[in-house]
Amino acid sequence: MSRLDPRGVPLGPVPARAGIGLRSIHHEDIRTNPPVGWLEAHTENYFHDGGAAVRALERARANYPLSLHGVGLALGSADGLDREHLARVKRAVSRFEPALVSEHACWGHANGEHFNDLLPLPYTEEAVDWLAAQVREAQDFLGRRLLIENVSAYVTFEHSALTEWEFLAALVERADCGLLLDVNNVYVSARNLGSDARAFIDGVPAAAVGEIHLAGHAERDGVLIDDHGSHVCDAVWDLYAHAIARLGPRPTLIEWDTDVPPLPVLVAEAHRADDILGGARGLAA
Amino acid sequence: MASLRELQRAFGAALRASSPPGDAPPVTPAANFSIYRNNSALGFRAAMQATFPVVRRRVGDDYFAQLAALYREQHPSRSGDLHWVGCDFAAFLAGHLDDDYRWLADLARLEWARECAALESAVPAIGADSLAAFAPEVLEHVTFALQPSLRLIESPWPVFSVWMANQVDDAPPVDQSLGSQAGMVLARPDGVEVARLGPEFFSYLSALVAGASLGGALERAALPAERLAPVLGHLFEDRLVCAVHSPKR
Repeated sequence: MSRLDPRGVPLGPVPARAGIGLRSIHHEDIRTNPPVGWLEAHTENYFHDGGAAVRALERARANYPLSLHGVGLALGSADGLDREHLARVKRAVSRFEPALVSEHACWGHANGEHFNDLLPLPYTEEAVDWLAAQVREAQDFLGRRLLIENVSAYVTFEHSALTEWEFLAALVERADCGLLLDVNNVYVSARNLGSDARAFIDGVPAAAVGEIHLAGHAERDGVLIDDHGSHVCDAVWDLYAHAIARLGPRPTLIEWDTDVPPLPVLVAEAHRADDILGGARGLAA
Repeated sequence: MASLRELQRAFGAALRASSPPGDAPPVTPAANFSIYRNNSALGFRAAMQATFPVVRRRVGDDYFAQLAALYREQHPSRSGDLHWVGCDFAAFLAGHLDDDYRWLADLARLEWARECAALESAVPAIGADSLAAFAPEVLEHVTFALQPSLRLIESPWPVFSVWMANQVDDAPPVDQSLGSQAGMVLARPDGVEVARLGPEFFSYLSALVAGASLGGALERAALPAERLAPVLGHLFEDRLVCAVHSPKR
């Protein structure tokens, strides 16, 4: 049941359907209200008080459930939380009232320098303890439960003692957060690092998964690069179907960030995910 | 074994373009570490390209990439929000470029002003009738609140002409002998306005921005009293005035 805010706008939860990432190139086209279940926007693009982007998201917000997805909080950074950044996240959350708020299991700054990338953590007890403490602190400050996403990795740390899914399971337990399962990232990391993608899907704590991401990747010199610049590949669709069979239907996002195609292409990709979600619903019924 | 903090500091140091390529932290496969170096550098450059499209057009892709890389070494990102990476670029260019190319620093200043104004809101403007309540002898002591996103730019070079001419690719160079120009950048309800202003109006507006009263600004801009009515008319027509403050007693 959705509730109504004072403007009469539905502020429902994000449904277990497919949504799309809203990018600036589609700020006008989204006014046609294409048939997708929900929208996700990058939190940092809406940090400011004015501007065309903020106006566009306010308009779109009136018609779709919304998720805000951060890329800059770098929660695993050992130098600690960026309080200013976190305060801006809180302002954006207050302004847009998203149903979901998410970030990444990564780090991104050291010695005052920000690398503006989703950098990998070693899978150690020290790192999971640190990340969990940071996630807890952020959740307390925001007054919201966060979904934390697994990132694509190109390297592993030689002293990692846990698998990635063990790391994430420990994070969920220690931080009382949810998970955003990026199936493309699982695939990319598994291919790059020789791990088992299905074991990841099977090992992740199912009840904690509040959202799924799907995206395309590129291959360069035998390495898969998570560039969000193409269609979801068949192997990732297969892995997604496996995930949905295990987890049941979950809100699923089509992400496309480079060479962003016309909106109907994203909508068609979302409908393909909806077909798999619908199939899972049919099995459940 | 290194602590998480030591590990991240070593990883971060090795991400810098100036560090030797072989200087990777203990990761496997080591060759893949360069992907992170590239991602970080490309993300920074892309943000710079998005903020300074006209500087990029004037210097070309290759030189812009070199400038962005050198700038990053001296002014690394200090925020998880890439919007801010360009904040010191104009000052960097002013210190880096030869005199013949120093105009590019002012062009960057204009583009940075535009980037900032694009993230701010236009405030509803008030009309000239808001002055009707003031007796003529009081009027000169009145102060204005102007559009909060308003930024004024003055340059010895024709940077407004350069900016306007280079909204398309392959524009011919602007004749630098056109000389100095001044103007404003501000948020409007439908986007950002970049406008060149005449010297008289610019001087008056600069004085108002500095906090001068209507009469005080006239003095600071060295304008005769009869110019007050036309410059005020211009201010209201341009929807620059958001509030009128009575003089303090």
